[in-house]
This record gives sequence, structure tokens and C-alpha cells, in this order.
Amino acid sequence: MFKKVLIANRGEIALRIVQACRELNIETVAVHSTADDDSLHVTYADEAICIGPPPSNQSYLNVSSIIAAAEVTGADAVHPGYGFLAENAAFAEVLGECNLAWIGPSPESIRMMGDKSKARRAAAEVGVPVLPGSQEPLADFSEAQSVAEKVGYPVILKASAGGGGRGMRIVQDRESLETQFSTASEEALKAFGDGSIYLERFLVEPRHIEFQIFGDQFGNVVHLGERECSIQRRHQKLVEEAPSTALTPALREEMGRAAVDLATAASYVNAGTVEFLLDHDGRFYFMEMNTRIQVEHPVTEIVTGLDLVKMQLEVAAGDRLTVPNGLTARGHAIECRINAEDPDRFTPSPGAITTFHPPGGPGIRVDTHAYEDYFIPPYYDSLLAKLIAFGQNRQEAIARMERALDFFVVEGVGTSIPLHQRILRDSRFRAGNLSTRFMERLLESEANRSQSAASSV
Amino acid sequence: MLTFEQIKELIDLVSERDLQGVEVERSGFRVKIEGRPAPTVDTSTDGKVPASIDGAPVSTTPAAPAGGTAPAVAETPAEASPEEAADLEGLHLLRSPIVGTFYISPSPDADPYIRVGDRVKRGQVLCIVEAMKLMNEIESDEDGVIEKVFPKNAQPVEYGEPLFAVRQE
Repeated sequence: MFKKVLIANRGEIALRIVQACRELNIETVAVHSTADDDSLHVTYADEAICIGPPPSNQSYLNVSSIIAAAEVTGADAVHPGYGFLAENAAFAEVLGECNLAWIGPSPESIRMMGDKSKARRAAAEVGVPVLPGSQEPLADFSEAQSVAEKVGYPVILKASAGGGGRGMRIVQDRESLETQFSTASEEALKAFGDGSIYLERFLVEPRHIEFQIFGDQFGNVVHLGERECSIQRRHQKLVEEAPSTALTPALREEMGRAAVDLATAASYVNAGTVEFLLDHDGRFYFMEMNTRIQVEHPVTEIVTGLDLVKMQLEVAAGDRLTVPNGLTARGHAIECRINAEDPDRFTPSPGAITTFHPPGGPGIRVDTHAYEDYFIPPYYDSLLAKLIAFGQNRQEAIARMERALDFFVVEGVGTSIPLHQRILRDSRFRAGNLSTRFMERLLESEANRSQSAASSV
Repeated sequence: MLTFEQIKELIDLVSERDLQGVEVERSGFRVKIEGRPAPTVDTSTDGKVPASIDGAPVSTTPAAPAGGTAPAVAETPAEASPEEAADLEGLHLLRSPIVGTFYISPSPDADPYIRVGDRVKRGQVLCIVEAMKLMNEIESDEDGVIEKVFPKNAQPVEYGEPLFAVRQE
């Protein structure tokens, strides 16, 4: 086992890693920018080295600073957390050259999965379903027609030169394709100067379902079940849960097997997550693989009883995985990502926390680096705390989460707690009717309600 | 970031003790209070190198987190540490711009670059901070006299750590 691990990260995940190391009797080195002098992980690590000024590129992304810190402290391994350099294959390689162990998958795996088209090809090669569509722009309507037949309706036409949601048209059936196709090409030509169109299967109400996988250095790969992460705003996850209400045992087994097959094909070692989109008809499609520990790992930890960060350290140190494949989830866990932000405008809210009283009680876990009098620096992300509620079933988890949100006191900065309370109260959420359009729908219905309330005055 | 109360305490400190000034940096914020003749307050956020948590009688420790023991690292010493004492007397601190190992001589058998009492010029090499086998020469950013050398030879230093105190001329 490693003697000393350097944590190349900050905030709640850095503290999480300090905790895992402490339990394994591993010494810890916290590297930090000057803005994080008072950070909790710096306080609790055995050693701390300031590596630069606040901007990330001069501190948490500063490879030479981090390696110099590893050198002067005699660390023998580096844990990159998530974000920052966690999926930087070059960093992993440099560490290897400096004889420092990397707590994560090989640089080759990181590269393979980091390239979206390579990852999709790898998935297709092992028989993992990939969202079907035309790879190249369509030559003409007749090619569009044949591809659409193969892919299956509804399809979405996308301008090759478009982006950010622009230049897209949904085609419900083959009868509408001809007119939609010519209109789309004309619009694209006018808007982007390029009329080329490609086509993809359109998923009406997909759910974001991801599978936690784990590989060891002996070639064993297992999956530890899924997480439902459909509640997102602008691709930022707000609420995650395990297990998903949408998965039957058969579907779980099928998707789990696909995730394991893909990870095995990549010779994957350590923690990783395979993301799928699940359509309302029960068909699933590979989206991408994340080659790191994820923010929402606690929900998996709670329903499986495992400590994923300790497993990361153990696997990196050469231990064999002892956990069985496809561990059944026990109970239900929900996580709310509490962000320091203006609750209405969603803009970040840095500053001093004047009161901080996290909830406790049965089935509540809080992962946070915040404390009273802590000054949230404006240079980094706005994640303040992860609030996780566990129950024997989803109903109890929801009740506990609502109680915990009500009892979570944060003053001095704005938080997303009011937003989370509204999500938890929403009837669709409570019924488990989730899709990636959930937040859009929720915010829309709130806007409509306040509009009609205003007009009725 | 300091609260209004804390800034007010610093202003009182400067005027009561008739100081030339005091400069405090925390978490990327810097507050400089100049005394003599009248204290002015200039706050700027430029993300510059911070001092270590200073010895001024200002509460800067984080509240002990619920359920945990007090943090192991002492944050506010009762009396000023050598670095802060130097600051208060108007000396200029030269701080390390990188992480590494401090060496006062170009090589083990060579003479040190400088000694306490030496007069140095801006741009003159004062020491080496070595990282990953690369010897980085650290140059003086001021003209003056070396009053103090803080690290011992071959001691690890972090970003922003004071290396020398220079009395400017």
C-alpha cells in the first residue's frame, strides 16, 4: 500500500480522499492555491504545499508545480479526484516517468475513452448499442431516406455546421422527411453557409443512466449498478439517485453487461463510469465513458455498502477486486448537489458563509468542504455540498431528503437548496417520471404558473 | 477576505502603535493600510502572493468543524512570526515563485550566492530553488541589503514562501 498520497484537487473531493487515506493509514499531501489556504482538506491533510496563485492553470492544472510538490514531500502516489487533471492522459504519463503511481486507469484507456468517436467505435465493436445515425453528412434526400429507415423514426436532422442546439429539426415519420429535409438544408445554407445535413435517431424522453464499473490490475472488471442522473440543467447534474426506477432486473443485467464488456475491451483499471441514454421504449445507447471517480459516487457507495475511493487506492496499489459483479442495490439513495449560487439566476454566489449547519439524523450523509466562516473563493466551481439521503425504499429516501433540505442552514451565500426543495416536491419527480427534459419542464411550468398568477391579479 | 470589523481592527492597530503600515493577504485578497500621516485603506484583488496568516490580533482561524478535533495546523500564532515581524518593520519580502528545494549555493562545494548583510541589486541571483532536477535561479526584485534568509539550505519551500527579507535603499 502507498505510504503517502498527494491529492491533486481541491474542495469536497480532496477532503473525501483525505478521509479514505486516513482510514487506510496513508499519509496525505494537500496541494493548493493561495485561495485555498483555509480549505478544510488543507487543514486535515498531514502536509500541505502551496503550489500557486488562485487561477487553476497556475495551480491545480500546473503539472510541474504538482510534481515538484510530490518530490519535496516524498509522495509515492497521486490521486487526481475529478475534473482538473483527472482525465489528462499526459499527466498520468508524466507521473509514471517520475516514478509516481497514478490512482486511475492507464493513459491508453483515458485516451481511448476521451475521444468520443474512438469510444463509440470501441463500443460498437463489442456489441454495445450506439445511437444510430449517419456518420458523414447526407449526400441527398434518397440517402437520408435509406439511413432514416435503418435508424428508425423519429429522427433528428442536424446541420453539420450548426451547433449549440441550432439547425436541428425533428422528423416524426417517413412521410414528413422529404419536406423537412429540403427545408433543413435551405435553412442551414442560409444560417451557416453550409447546407449539409446529417441524421440521428431522436430519443424522445431519454433518461441518463450511468453504470459504475471497476477494474483491477488482474483483468477483473465488475459493474456496481447504475445511477439515474436525468435531472440536469444545461448538462450540469442536480440530483442523482440509485437505483433507477426505470430499470427492470433484466435491463439492468443487459446494460451492466454492456458496460463491463466495454471496460474490458479497454483493459480498464480502477474506477470508471459508462453513460447510456435510455429511451422510453427500453432501448439503450452508449453515450460516453468517464475515466475517473465521479461527483455522485456516494449514491453507489450507500446502496452497495462499498467505499469506492478506498477501492481506488487498493486497486492502484495492486490489490485484487473482491466485490462480485452486479451487486444488488440495497435500499435507495438520492443525492442533491448543493451549489453556492443565486437560487433564481443560477449565477455563482462566492463569499463568506456566516452560518453553516448541515443536517444529520438517520440516513443522511453530507460530503462538504464548507464550514462556518469559510470564504468561498470565486475562482472555482460552485459545488458547496453533496447531500445524500438513504432509505429502505425511494419513498423513504425522498422523505429524508426533504427533511434534510429543510434542516440545512446556510447563510451568507445563496444556495440551490430552494431549487432542490422544488424538485423534490414535484409530482413527476415523486412518481419517478424522469427524463433529461425534467428541469426544462419544471422551470417552464414554474414560469407559466407565475405568469398566470401575475395576469390574474 | 476580511470583514469590516477586522479591517477596522487593523486600522486601530496601525494608528495606536504608530506603524508605518500593515499589509494582509488572505485567499487571494490583499489589504494594505498605510500609517503616517493618516491611515488610508486600499483594497485590491490581484491574486498575488499571500503572506502566511499574519500575527495581527485578528481572528482568522476557521471554526472547528462540528464533531471534529481542532485542526492540527496552527493558524494564528500568539506573537508575530519572524516573517510578519519583518513585514511590520518595512522590510521587503522576497517569496518563492515555485515549489521546490531551496539552495543557497550554486553547487554543494561552492560559496553561497549571498550572505546576510550583503548589498544586492535588482536582477541579481540570490539562490536556487530546484524542482524536478531543474535548477531555477531566483533573482532579487529590489535593490537593498539582505537582512534575513528564512529557509535552511536544502529545505523544501512552497509557492509564496518567504525566502529573504531585504531592506530597500
